[in-house]
Amino acid sequence: MEHTTLAHHLTLAGLLFVAGLSGVLLRRNLLVVYMCLELMLTASTLALVAFSRFNQTMDGAILVFFVITVAAAEVAVGLALIVALFRRRGTVQSNELNTLCD
Amino acid sequence: MDSIQLLHWILFLPLGAAAFSALCLRRLGGFAAWFSTATAFTIATLALVLLIKTDDTISWHIELAKFGNVSLGFGYLIDANARLMLFVVSFVAAWIHLFSVGYMHEDSARGRFFAGLSIFMFSILGIVIADNLLMTFIFWELVGFSSYMLIAHYFDKDFAAAASKKAFITNRIGDLGFILGIALCLNLYGTLNFAELASVAPLKGAVPIAVGLLLMCGFLGKSAQFPLHVWLTDAMAGPTPVSALIHAATMVAAGVYFMARVSFLLAPEVLQWIAISGAGMAALAGLCALAQTDIKKSLAYSTLAHLGIMGCALGLGHPELAVLHMAMHAFFKATLFLGAGSVIHGCHHEQDMLKMGGLLKKMPLTAATFIAATLSNCALPFFAGWYSKDAIIEAAWHDEKFVVFSFLALAAFATCLYSGRMIRLVFLGTANSEDASHAHESPWTMTLPIAILGLGYSIAAGFGAHYLLPASALQIINEPLHEMAFHLTAPATIVGLVALSFGLLGSLKFYGLLPGRDSLQVFSPRTYHLLENRWMDNVYQWFIDNVVRRVSEFIAFLDLLLINGVAVRWIVGGFTAALGHLTGALFHRGQARGYALWITIGSLLLIWFLLAR
Amino acid sequence: MPDGLFIFFAALTLGAAALLVMSRNAVTSAMGMILALVGVAVDFFLLDAYFLGVLQVLVYAGAVMVLFLFVIMLLSDTAESPSAYPWKKAAGGLALFFLLAAGVLWLFYWSGAVPQTLAGNTPPELSIDPATFTTSAKSFGRLLYTKYLLPLEISGFLLLVALVGVVSLSKDPTTKA
Repeated sequence: MEHTTLAHHLTLAGLLFVAGLSGVLLRRNLLVVYMCLELMLTASTLALVAFSRFNQTMDGAILVFFVITVAAAEVAVGLALIVALFRRRGTVQSNELNTLCD
Repeated sequence: MDSIQLLHWILFLPLGAAAFSALCLRRLGGFAAWFSTATAFTIATLALVLLIKTDDTISWHIELAKFGNVSLGFGYLIDANARLMLFVVSFVAAWIHLFSVGYMHEDSARGRFFAGLSIFMFSILGIVIADNLLMTFIFWELVGFSSYMLIAHYFDKDFAAAASKKAFITNRIGDLGFILGIALCLNLYGTLNFAELASVAPLKGAVPIAVGLLLMCGFLGKSAQFPLHVWLTDAMAGPTPVSALIHAATMVAAGVYFMARVSFLLAPEVLQWIAISGAGMAALAGLCALAQTDIKKSLAYSTLAHLGIMGCALGLGHPELAVLHMAMHAFFKATLFLGAGSVIHGCHHEQDMLKMGGLLKKMPLTAATFIAATLSNCALPFFAGWYSKDAIIEAAWHDEKFVVFSFLALAAFATCLYSGRMIRLVFLGTANSEDASHAHESPWTMTLPIAILGLGYSIAAGFGAHYLLPASALQIINEPLHEMAFHLTAPATIVGLVALSFGLLGSLKFYGLLPGRDSLQVFSPRTYHLLENRWMDNVYQWFIDNVVRRVSEFIAFLDLLLINGVAVRWIVGGFTAALGHLTGALFHRGQARGYALWITIGSLLLIWFLLAR
Repeated sequence: MPDGLFIFFAALTLGAAALLVMSRNAVTSAMGMILALVGVAVDFFLLDAYFLGVLQVLVYAGAVMVLFLFVIMLLSDTAESPSAYPWKKAAGGLALFFLLAAGVLWLFYWSGAVPQTLAGNTPPELSIDPATFTTSAKSFGRLLYTKYLLPLEISGFLLLVALVGVVSLSKDPTTKA
């Protein structure tokens, strides 16, 4: 514990974020894309907590609390949207959902 | 409750009633009718209380905005003119509301109609008590709007829709001058407040004349003065109570009232023009009334004639006489229109006078009041109209304006002619159509207002003024009344009596010659056609066809070529099309991942920018 | 060199994230996600944010992931394609990952965006002063109901809106209410 610096935590957060981002960019299954998005969100909360701890303030941690709240609401709505989309289009593969181009 | 609070109530009660009727009572026509009528009577009562309790000048003002030295505000200014006008408007309007309850009984859109009447009340009362030009202008426009809405009550009928548009557009032309006048006035005097303007002595020179002329434009439009008089006769397409309230008693009189209020701003040159054109229009409109078979249109020409007389009084420099005549005219002309409404209602919506006849026995109360109001209209001595109209004619003689005087004499004669014609065609003789022979008297809600306004005020408002009008409203009319009573030998009285006896009796006889037909049309079709033809409408039509259309076609061509063609299609359209082509190929692929990639690239660029700073 | 516990759980978290991104089966992805979230929660513990760690496990790894799993089961459209594993694409993805990861490392170690005095530090001593970072849930409560009262109310309202939105979204559009 004595040797874990802020940079270590930030690196972990950054790598998680980048992993999530690669998933968002590469995956086609909307559900997986959505999970990757959540991973990115979590990674950013990790950075927040680290900053909060090392700066000796509570504000970052409180912000994480709100991020978790919003994320829960967002997941509920997002999944409902995906389900509604699946009902209507019969697929959740993003490459088949290109109505925006037409 | 002090007088300022009373004024608040008087002004905002109708607004509240209008909002409530329009929002909540659209489907409850019957309730809306009585609700609105009750409001109107409440306002009339409040106005009476105000008039009886106070007799000095009331002023109240709050500042709403200040730009530099210019202050814009909202305020009340009640002087003698305003007092009389307030009483006339609220009192006549209340009875017309009651009349409408009966007249509009079978209408399906009563909620809208009565909401319209209420918003009209709000607007006209606003004009009456406003203490500055800007507030007057705002309420002036509101009056225009409510008039438009009420003329277009039967908006599914083409002629009503067209008439409302015509009234609105014609008024806009006048109002354009009005608002320019306000701007010029602000520039010249630095204030819009009536009291402050009055204290600034009227300046000499071209600019003050221009201010007067521009302000007069508003008056020309609203009061249907030459050359903007064309809308008033078409406005009869609205329901009859509307014609009575707006286009006879109050709204058109608002122009006269306003001119009286700003009379200190009018240069002598402006007054001269108003006098001549008013007198000329009075004579002409009186004659034109002879060539109308529609009872309401004939009355509309009569209104034009009286507005001309009022304008003439303004122009002669007697605004108090103009306001007095406006008040008297409001009583008897409202009665005439309501009587006409009752006749139309009784004859199953027949408006052609040639198809009426013999209604004296079938509708005795309506006939009696109508005839009484007609006599007042003809200025029979000791009737209401006599006091004001002959005073104006005498004023013209006294001021040695003989051109004006002769026009007014002709107008008086024409008034007697068309009045006699109207009585003869509608009430005497025998019924000339199936509908007229089955005519019936109207219900009490319609006859009571006619009786009050007609028998009470058309006959007696002059000599019984002290009993019928609130004392404080009489300040301005006391003097002319007393003068009149002792000037029976004046030329005006002689002219009036000659016109009355020859005109009225002559036309009663003349129009009795051929039952069911118009004698003038038979004996002199060319004269009839000359009077029936609407010359100004033709001039406007020619102007629009040959000038406005040519110019606008040229401008439209320029628009098509330069704006639409070169600027929009080539420059803007070409640029955006090229850009759209490029971005469409790059970004717009319809794939969510593509968009995500561009978002990522954008974020990275943003991070790079933030770090490189 | 950081301590062993951090290294172990960081590796576990990153491995789980790789599983999430690279697995072809959505259920496997979800399992990877749960593991990654638990790993993050452990890191929260290592940062002395016990309350947030618990919250992370409860809300994310518990509620949210259950929702995900339900939807995955519901849609039964889990396999991306029946063909062989797209190695080329995976290689491309890895290349992208390492490129971005290099950027992240550069950002945190050499760019100077995080001051070296702060970045190289070990965490300061914990205090019990409620104005600074404490481990107790109490200091959360104090701040949430004083300084952050309005955001708290708004997030409550947001949850309500989300609730209503989800109900209206889940209605079958073909049947009328």
